[in-house]
Amino acid sequence: MVDNDEHAKHQSERRNFLRIFGATVGCSSLAIATGAALREATAADTPAPKPDIPDYDWTRHRWAFGVDATKCIGCLRCVEACKIENNVPADAHHFRTWVERYVTLEGEEKAHIDSQSDPVNIEASGSEGAYRFANRYKDAKVERAFFVPKLCNQCTHPACVQVCPTGATYKTLDGVVVIDHKYCIGCQYCVQACPYGARYFNEEKGVTDKCTWCYHRITKGLQPACVEVCPVGARVFGDRNDKQSPISLFLRDNRVSVLRPESGNAPNVFYVGIDKEVI
Amino acid sequence: MPKHIARLVFLLLAFAVIAYAAKQYFTADSFYLFGHYRGLSVAEIASDKPKFKTPKSCEQCHAGQYAEWAKSVHNNVDLGKVVRCEVCHGPAGSRDVKGRFEHVATGKDHPNGLKMAIPTETAKLCTLCHEQMPGRPVQQRQIVVVTHAGTQQCTACHNPHSPKTFKVAAPAAPKGDAAAGKAIAAACAGCHGEAGIGGKVSGPGLAGQKADYLVVALKAYKTGARDNPLMSAMAKDLSDNDIDNMAAYFADAKCNSAGNGDKKAAVAGLSVAARCAACHGAKGISAQPSWPNLAGQSGEYLVSSLKSYKAGERKNGMMDGIAKDLSDADAANVVAYFANAACR
Repeated sequence: MVDNDEHAKHQSERRNFLRIFGATVGCSSLAIATGAALREATAADTPAPKPDIPDYDWTRHRWAFGVDATKCIGCLRCVEACKIENNVPADAHHFRTWVERYVTLEGEEKAHIDSQSDPVNIEASGSEGAYRFANRYKDAKVERAFFVPKLCNQCTHPACVQVCPTGATYKTLDGVVVIDHKYCIGCQYCVQACPYGARYFNEEKGVTDKCTWCYHRITKGLQPACVEVCPVGARVFGDRNDKQSPISLFLRDNRVSVLRPESGNAPNVFYVGIDKEVI
Repeated sequence: MPKHIARLVFLLLAFAVIAYAAKQYFTADSFYLFGHYRGLSVAEIASDKPKFKTPKSCEQCHAGQYAEWAKSVHNNVDLGKVVRCEVCHGPAGSRDVKGRFEHVATGKDHPNGLKMAIPTETAKLCTLCHEQMPGRPVQQRQIVVVTHAGTQQCTACHNPHSPKTFKVAAPAAPKGDAAAGKAIAAACAGCHGEAGIGGKVSGPGLAGQKADYLVVALKAYKTGARDNPLMSAMAKDLSDNDIDNMAAYFADAKCNSAGNGDKKAAVAGLSVAARCAACHGAKGISAQPSWPNLAGQSGEYLVSSLKSYKAGERKNGMMDGIAKDLSDADAANVVAYFANAACR
């Protein structure tokens, strides 16, 4: 009997506990729900907040980038301009945008690939702060050769944003993936996550950096620096919401492809004239 | 509730409160304003100052250069080939990355304290785009540097703002007075023929030659830049005014197309002459006032000129390299070609 009494007592205590616990959870969830509903109600009344950028409405633009590799001459003006415009360290290891050269020699299957950071090309330019493709294949039997400019693809489903532990990198409403350098802790998960190698780590500042399509320029009605200096029109930039913009015409008039579509990132840099070996 | 359970519940609650407070305290106000990030950072990123300022900003002060460039092949909008000012001169905005451009100034922009680079090493700069290289599309104008210009800077001949119009200005009206020149020119007849007609005399024909070229040549003799004992002595006492007058006289004089070369060699020289055409004209009539006509010139004189360029006795950045690359046979043929060409 003693056992039974003890048992009954415990039973009632457990019930009490569950009752109180249930009531607490119920009340707090009700409070949260009410709070959320209230917030939503006020949000519906006031217009959606927008970033404080003068003369610019980010809901009205959908930026995109085109690269016509058949026009690129490998002059690397884009690479130098980008470095200056965005204060990228002036050495051969940090780039927001870069250019690759694909050269297939006669009788060979695989392409030789080099970029401006190749030691031979650094030697040709004379310094790590200036860029030039050495004319290293001028006496070789070249079957085919072409240049491919590369930059951040500003993906629709960016893997880099997904892995950021601090919310330091994000996609803006107008379609650019940017980095908040005040929140970046320099863990470099995003550098690893990007399938295109578009991000680099800035050791001087302790933060990751990447191409932003010159967000500070495009929000002022200017072209990105690389597009501004490209002497042959190999780089095309514009607003897909504007049907007469250079990029809309580029997408209309060309059959385009993107890099690594299988990665599922849905890139927004569209290429013309690249080959299967370009990834 | 037993004491130990109550304690546990209290601890959990306390932890929850502290965590919530900490989150409120440490999360920026604008976090979640637009999404899972600090909302204010969007405007912060957008507020950076552009460094490349576009040709429009250059035009305000450099309207002349802008107009020259705007009409040139370096601004071929139809083909999408537009080489804007800052591609060669560097960005006009404050910058702290040096790159290729010498003048680095943080916090200053052009024209407020930042001096723009005027490229001097154009042989390096222009060839970034124009050096012949596998991989460059065929529509891109490309040169083999060694045969095109040797070690010359591109700007020696090309106006970088408008590379297809050569640097030398459009022919100005002759400065000199031909009638006044005639009197002085009498002294030249012994070697250059009556009225500079050339032919069977020791010196080259002068009649119909470019006035500017004659001025350059006479001044070079006068200063010793060009060395010939006879001509230096003749030119030494001439005033600049005399030189202008004589040049005007000879430029106006009627020339004689001597037809003084080997006809068979002249045919062979046609293909070699293509190398000379850019400066001296396809038929030996130069488009540039300060570059000489070759058409109808004495063959002996042309051969000796090429030889002295080759030997380094006569110096000219362009001709030195070209003469060195010419075989003796090619030289003889091309000379015959120009000697046979009609002088007007």
